Amino acid sequence: MSASVSSLEPLFTFVSNSYSNIETSFFKIPGSAVIARYVKSSHRDDPGRTLLEVILIIFAIRTLLQSRTKAEPSGKHFIEFSEKEIDELVDEWTPEELAQPLTAVEQSDLNAVPVIAGPVGPKPKLTNGKTVLNLASYNFAGLAGNAEIKERCIDILKKYGLGSCGPPGFYGTQDVHIQLEQDIADFLGTEAAIIYSQAFSTISSVIPAFCKRGDVIVADRGVNFAIQKGLQISRCTIRWYDHSDMASLEKVLESVEKERRKKKMPLTRRFIVTEGIFDHDGAMSDLPKLVELKLKYKYRLILDESVSFGSVGRTGRGLTELYNVPASQVDMLVGSMANGLTSAGGFCAGSHTVVKHQRINAPSVVFSAALPALLAAAASEGINIMRNTPSILSMLQENVRAVRAILDKVDCIAIPSHPASAIIHINVRSSSTVMPIAPMSPTSPISPASPMSPLSPSTAKLSNPVSVRQRGAPHFDMEAEERLLQEVVEDTLAQGVMVTRAKRLHGQEMIEVRPSIRLAISAAMSRKDCEKAANVLKASCIKVLSKRR
Amino acid sequence: MAFQSPSPQPSIFKKKAHGSTPNSTPALSLSSSATSSSSETVLDDLGLDYDNGLSYPRVPPTSEQVFTTVHSEFGHCANEKYRYTSQHRAGTQYKSYPEQDPPYYILLTTYLSYLMVICLGHLRDFVGKRLQPSHYRHLVSQHGYAALNSDFDSFYTRRLKTRIDDCFSHPVTGVPGRTMVLLDRYSPDYNVTMVPSGTRTRGLNISSYNYLGFAQARGGCADAVETSINRYGVSACGSRLEGATLDLHQQAEALVARFVGMEDALISSMGFATNSTIIPALVGKGSLVISDEFNHASIRFGVRISGANVRTFKHNDMPSLEALLREVISQGQPKTHRPWKKILVIVEGLFSMEGTLANLPVIMELKKKYKFNLFVDEAHSIGALGPHGRGVADYFGVNPRQIDILMGTFTKSFGAAGGYIAGSKALIDRLRVHGHSGCYAEAMTPPVLTQVIASTASIMGISSAPEKSSSLSLTARSDAINPELEMEAYPGRAPLSILPAWMPITPSMADGTDGKMRLRRLGFNARYLNRGLRKLGFITYGHDDSPVVPLLLFNPGKMAVFSRLMRTRQVPIIVVVVAYPATPLVTSRVRFCLSASHTKEDVDLVLTACDEIGDLLDLKQGSGERWSLQEITDRAVELVGMPELV
Repeated sequence: MSASVSSLEPLFTFVSNSYSNIETSFFKIPGSAVIARYVKSSHRDDPGRTLLEVILIIFAIRTLLQSRTKAEPSGKHFIEFSEKEIDELVDEWTPEELAQPLTAVEQSDLNAVPVIAGPVGPKPKLTNGKTVLNLASYNFAGLAGNAEIKERCIDILKKYGLGSCGPPGFYGTQDVHIQLEQDIADFLGTEAAIIYSQAFSTISSVIPAFCKRGDVIVADRGVNFAIQKGLQISRCTIRWYDHSDMASLEKVLESVEKERRKKKMPLTRRFIVTEGIFDHDGAMSDLPKLVELKLKYKYRLILDESVSFGSVGRTGRGLTELYNVPASQVDMLVGSMANGLTSAGGFCAGSHTVVKHQRINAPSVVFSAALPALLAAAASEGINIMRNTPSILSMLQENVRAVRAILDKVDCIAIPSHPASAIIHINVRSSSTVMPIAPMSPTSPISPASPMSPLSPSTAKLSNPVSVRQRGAPHFDMEAEERLLQEVVEDTLAQGVMVTRAKRLHGQEMIEVRPSIRLAISAAMSRKDCEKAANVLKASCIKVLSKRR
Repeated sequence: MAFQSPSPQPSIFKKKAHGSTPNSTPALSLSSSATSSSSETVLDDLGLDYDNGLSYPRVPPTSEQVFTTVHSEFGHCANEKYRYTSQHRAGTQYKSYPEQDPPYYILLTTYLSYLMVICLGHLRDFVGKRLQPSHYRHLVSQHGYAALNSDFDSFYTRRLKTRIDDCFSHPVTGVPGRTMVLLDRYSPDYNVTMVPSGTRTRGLNISSYNYLGFAQARGGCADAVETSINRYGVSACGSRLEGATLDLHQQAEALVARFVGMEDALISSMGFATNSTIIPALVGKGSLVISDEFNHASIRFGVRISGANVRTFKHNDMPSLEALLREVISQGQPKTHRPWKKILVIVEGLFSMEGTLANLPVIMELKKKYKFNLFVDEAHSIGALGPHGRGVADYFGVNPRQIDILMGTFTKSFGAAGGYIAGSKALIDRLRVHGHSGCYAEAMTPPVLTQVIASTASIMGISSAPEKSSSLSLTARSDAINPELEMEAYPGRAPLSILPAWMPITPSMADGTDGKMRLRRLGFNARYLNRGLRKLGFITYGHDDSPVVPLLLFNPGKMAVFSRLMRTRQVPIIVVVVAYPATPLVTSRVRFCLSASHTKEDVDLVLTACDEIGDLLDLKQGSGERWSLQEITDRAVELVGMPELV
């Protein structure tokens, strides 16, 4: 016994030595006496608490040390493997090809995309040497190739160079950007505006900047792809209303409020998200009714005017000008400088609070380089021209009317677009359903909102607001219609008119959109050319579509 | 905070600069552009008359030296010693400079200062809500509307960031080149609003992503862009698949593919969107993305939209990556344990906040063993690294074709905007059709495309002597690619046949000397500043060859002071400071972005400023051998040439 004690002697001395060492160094730390006193007295008063605190400290240390990236290794689905088994599994695993090659149809569609050689305008030249009439490019106000804009851009180039070489937060904000934001806000009549460097990334960044998990968004079933992505990334609770159907919207708003009352949920942010003129079919929202509903039910309105800004209204201010609704009534007005001003980028206009919030919360503002200075200047100049020449927009509307006058009479096609819309979608008219198209004068926008879309028949039963799918939506043969329309497009191109099918991402859109040909009318084209182009398109449609019957 | 710009002193030097360079140089000019004469290589359009070497070189160029650049945009530097080729030395292992921890008292004070600011902020909120409710109206629910941004959500922005808001979003004007002009502003109400004071300050710009110095308003690229605006106008008017594909798009894509050494490339009009719209077309449900923890927000945005599963590994930690790979491959998909359809590893070539390089050699080894697909985001590294400027693959001597996808942006080294994805033809064609941007996003505009083409061609050099073809045919030149040229090995020169026929080409662009000079100047500057700061005793992160140099400040309060002190020096220096949430909470830092446009004197200037401010702010906490400032500037070439820093 004593032998074993003596053999352990050095160990004991080491332990006591190191203990006294630790003790002295611990008391060297300023304030340590207080801690020691606290621990001693607490242990004396309540030994149980000491145990609890020790466990707490151990737990805290364990939490801190735990790897954040490790997912549930201890979870119930985790299987323990030996190293050898893992090696075998690794050998066994064969991944899929990163990218399957395109199908023959996709490849031929890709190859059929016309390539413009030289400037884009009403009559561009293609790489095959042919000059065509252009009903495909977004050039509503005819600003493409404008000499004043070019001149201004070259001036800016000589002062600023091209790239901004930094995000807006880190010296990417140049005075031309500030000027453009001011110009947009002045033009629309809002307090402020913020610019984004790509139109497509604008709304998909605006939505998650404001809408967080738990917030409620009520959205139109026909919203464009960028909005869909914004909704997806926001992780909000989303409710859908029938496309362009204000009665359906009201019902959904009511049901949301009822649900909130029933479950006694706290007040969260609520938004209505829709488009001015829909990218998918050219239908127009009934803005006065939207504003009325939003005020009644206390929602904020996010309106995507990517198509309507620069194409409707007396001077191209968009839907707010057309319906004479003050732009300040729209909480977040999103527009495109790429479409409306033939420059690049997008913007969001609203109150100072709304804009300021985006400067540090919108991902594609914070993490992306600012718009090149000369493109910002081009947009400013575009606004200037539109503001000073209202004849541009009346010319555009005349052209739209001229094209519609010809195409509306064609039997084999259906046009879901609003008569004043500068983009015109052409569907194949299916023989079974006859779509009611309300006669509507484009000059009197205050006319009652009639459901323009063929997708909104007056169903008595409400579609399920939780599902994006609409009850009783008409069926269509996607592939066959697409093939027919592509044939029309190619036939039209052969006769010297460039039009394009509205290209969609099958399988990625929330609901498949009916195939269509998308025309974009420009003020730069003469009325005669417009009529000529429309007649060519009409002839092709009749030729191709009547063949199938 | 209002800043006094340095008082304009009568410049003796300016007269000297003009006097010593009479119009004697044009005879030696090789350039066809209009910017060849020396009197035009200095710029004084803003009426700023400084004696500090920003607008006029300290050492006036001799009549033998011909500079085709404006000194304030791209510094004059004729000394061939101040050049370095950035390249990984074969046979050595890649290792980043070891990350050093600060002394504990720094960490403690950092936490304490955050704590203090947070407590103070809450106190101010508490009192403010009672005394000045009108200031909080937009932060609380009212009239049946929930607050757009509640006081809790916005606390960090309102109470922490606002304190140093004068360091962010500073408006500028002019070229973001070697120097930049700040539009001065002041705040009457503690940074809530900023009021422009109307004055301007020209400062040395060490914060723009202008690695190769192509942000220039004069010179070959700008001339090409001007011609292009006259020819094409400003916009392509639509999306790529809906009739807005120009011949310029095809030419630029062919050139970029050749530049990065891939079969094909796709160009997108925004860098952020390149990632956020392309990744969903690559992976989806049943796929796994393995992502470095410090990957850029655009990658995270894209992955989130794609619906794929995500796992992250510790920044640049290869054992952690391998362990994760072994785990995920053996475990398979969560719950079902089915094997993953695809595993895509996403890393950045050069991490923009850390300055570290992806450990590509090891990743390539792992790729062979674990058969995953590799996506390298070269947003910062393309153009900025490698002996030929081809990014991180070039730097490590890895064959780019072994990497599945190379992504990069044109915002940085190319002085343009937008981004690209490069890969095999089948892959790129798929992305053209299935990526979001092809259908829905606006196509890249002609001026930007021209800048991309001109700057890329300038880095590559052009393979045959430029001769003005008499027929300015507008047909797509990409159809007429000479098959022999097509076979030329990577990294080759740009074949003349894929460049637009109308594009003006300067001789220095054509023979590649311009690009080479830029690459080697950037290589020198990056290595010099990295090593100089370390020798001064600062804690910096990242690789020696990285043009992004983060200098650690730790304490949040030092960020503002550092930035303000730099800006108000005799020669103002414009820097970027970053903190949480862009970095971990304790590692607030200042980030220098070097450029080929900086001269050795500029880097000296930065080092001097850092030395002084570093002493003042107690920043020199690094270990390792220290040199004096004088020694560093004198032995700069030796310092840069050392194989390894001890």
